[in-house]
Amino acid sequence: MICKKCDSPKTVVLRQKDFYCDECFMISTNHKFRACLGKNKILAPNEKVLICLSGGVSSSVLLDLIQYGISLENTKKLRIVPFFIHIFDVESKTATDFILEQCKKYNFNVYMVHLSDYLNTSCQLPEQNCIPEVNCDVANQFHSMQNSMPPTARNDLLLTIKRTLFIKYAKLLQCNIVFTAETSNTLAIKLLCNLAVGRGSQVQNDIGFSDTRDEKVRIIRPMRDISKEELDYYIKIKQLYPICNSSINNTNSLQSVIASFVFDLQENFQSTISTVCKTADKIGVCADRTLGKCLICESNFNDVNFKLSALEATSISRTVSFANISSNHNTDLSNIFKNDSHTAVFPLVHKYLCYGCSRIHSEMKRSTLPPHLQIL
Amino acid sequence: MPIPCRRCCVKNAVLKRPKTGDALCKECFFWAFETEIHYTITKAELFNKGDSVAIAASGGKDSTVLAHVMKTLNQQYNYGLNLMLLSIDEGITGYRDDSLETVKQNRDDYEMPLKILSYKDLYGWTMDEIVAQIGRKNNCTFCGVFRRQALDRGAALLGVKCIATGHNADDIAETVLMNVLRGDIARLKRCTAITTGSEGTIPRVKPLKYTYEKEIVMYAHYKKLVYFSTECVFAPNAYRGHARALLKDMEKVRPSCIMDIIYSGETMSVKEQVTLPTQGICTRCKFVSSQEVCKACVLLEGLNKGLPRLGIGKSSKAKRMLEEYNSKQVNGTDLLADAVNDLNDVDLDKSNKIDSKKKECCGNIDTTCNKNKSNCCGGTGKCNNQHSSAVHENGGNQKLNSLLEQYELDESSNIQDTLHPESNGANASDNSDGEYSKEEEDDTCSSSCGKMGSLQIGF
Repeated sequence: MICKKCDSPKTVVLRQKDFYCDECFMISTNHKFRACLGKNKILAPNEKVLICLSGGVSSSVLLDLIQYGISLENTKKLRIVPFFIHIFDVESKTATDFILEQCKKYNFNVYMVHLSDYLNTSCQLPEQNCIPEVNCDVANQFHSMQNSMPPTARNDLLLTIKRTLFIKYAKLLQCNIVFTAETSNTLAIKLLCNLAVGRGSQVQNDIGFSDTRDEKVRIIRPMRDISKEELDYYIKIKQLYPICNSSINNTNSLQSVIASFVFDLQENFQSTISTVCKTADKIGVCADRTLGKCLICESNFNDVNFKLSALEATSISRTVSFANISSNHNTDLSNIFKNDSHTAVFPLVHKYLCYGCSRIHSEMKRSTLPPHLQIL
Repeated sequence: MPIPCRRCCVKNAVLKRPKTGDALCKECFFWAFETEIHYTITKAELFNKGDSVAIAASGGKDSTVLAHVMKTLNQQYNYGLNLMLLSIDEGITGYRDDSLETVKQNRDDYEMPLKILSYKDLYGWTMDEIVAQIGRKNNCTFCGVFRRQALDRGAALLGVKCIATGHNADDIAETVLMNVLRGDIARLKRCTAITTGSEGTIPRVKPLKYTYEKEIVMYAHYKKLVYFSTECVFAPNAYRGHARALLKDMEKVRPSCIMDIIYSGETMSVKEQVTLPTQGICTRCKFVSSQEVCKACVLLEGLNKGLPRLGIGKSSKAKRMLEEYNSKQVNGTDLLADAVNDLNDVDLDKSNKIDSKKKECCGNIDTTCNKNKSNCCGGTGKCNNQHSSAVHENGGNQKLNSLLEQYELDESSNIQDTLHPESNGANASDNSDGEYSKEEEDDTCSSSCGKMGSLQIGF
């Protein structure tokens, strides 16, 4: 068995059928990363970029790819000014230490931010390369908000919280671009999760190459063409030792069900993930900004002008199951509960919140909302 | 501790609705179930007053409940619809022959005219014969493609304004997932539409689009409707099975996800630069198709030429197979040129043949229908008996029992026991998860084979 590109003996097997040697494999992976950035033409020379690190496999590879790109001294040099951020939770002490160590090794500075910072309205950059003091009250408040929700909603909200924090700190650091290390595997799972929580119209921003919901800061996914399989070879060859972390660890959430489903199907159908990602590329976004946008996830509201939707059908279900509706068939069922946030299945939908966030909102305790959402 | 009904607060609730989590008593459930479908029909303007509507009937739970509810609502709200039943006989021994008896029972119960078309008459092949040719894999492709067209033919014969199919919310969510997994953007775009059909074709509507499968089963159970619940005997390893398994797992975690997936499908837009296939009509049979020659014609040609795999897989593959076939027939020196010529000739030949066959079919259909009618009136009483026992034996009740266990409230579990004494005691608890998952695994085909007009599947 020899490498497809050169005639050296193979060391890497991708998709159970494609053979590469270490060298050709590294060139191709690096090329995928650079091509993804290059063909979309989003980087101005010396662009300030905020890079999000988690300490996991893909984040370690992203860090390595960037370090390599910057260190080049020819025309291929990656001309960006990188800033690094890691968002941590209290329990993940190992991760914080690991990130600090990792960045020290590459000689990069990193900002550490606690998740509960989502509830803070103050905007202040923490000190670099150290774990900041966490306000216990705020952290407790944050955790009680999380714990008041079922796992599916919690995971869904967590992604939005991280996105919000990335954008907040990108603005503080005056970066217009954020890089995240999502791979094709992550994105395929994320697409199905999006569908499952009613965010089908937000797919382009959540899974596509760039998230343009914020007017100033764009979130870019430069690793979207690279698969988990390739990353595993990369870390093996480069001898990186990432910590194993998974944001989806609840065994009883839609996200975990979907993740294990995609993993199993990929074993039998090698093209599953690439097919799902190709599908995602063809799904667009509701471009009409005049309809207003969600206070939590910043997505534009959907056009509500079609005859009948699942949203309305669900609301009707609630209405007809409710005590104070008489059997009088002439009542206009559609308007009865529209504005009552205590009985409606979708409180505040299309006024302040999108369908998915309204579903989350109905499943959490109101009192624990962050200040900017307290008006709800 | 009995839970009071959320709506009337007088009686005890018998079930918790999976869509919203509200507990209702039996009467309120019936009212809510029917009112929701009425709302769907009127809000989405599915029918016009005075229309003739064919209900695609398989004898399964969805189409039986659809026929029942349509008849009830038609009377109650004065839709002024002329309802009739349309069934397709795929020719699957041990499955469709039995389920058609149930449809005939429905015809008598709901006093609607019934038309049965068979694959044998329309295409010259029964599914049994097709499976003998193609094997156990991919046979759902034939069944689904042929059924889609057979329904169109039947509707044209009956002269109806539209066809109502029994697709429920679970089916639609499952189709959305499957089209994402298969990367089929064109179907993904149209699969959530409540009315489908381009200009010049008979539209199909899905009045049960927002109705959960679980509630349909409960409704049929409490209304004591007679339905047929055996899986198709050719239940294959269809790709749809993966989507179905995923949806069932997801539903257990968060029942509302079915509606959420439908909502996602409805609000999702396809990027403008993506080119989608345009729907036209088949140059041969004049029925709806996105290709020049429709899939049904290609599959049929394959069967008739002894190349059953012709329509399976890519169209380039089909072309190659046809060329090979033709070159074998020619035995000449200039094989390729001849083959191309021949392809054209064969096309003409075939369309003539199909035309003549079609005429032949139409004749047959009428006679079979008459025969069916005369046969059935005598056998009704017997059917009834057979079927109530059949439903008990063939395992459909296991699913119902597990559903009842999940969604029926404690208070009424003793009623269930008296209803089905055989599932008492130890059995009853065994019934829950193990049985349920087994039942689901067998369930892979019910959308493609088990009911009518699954137009999203197959090809």
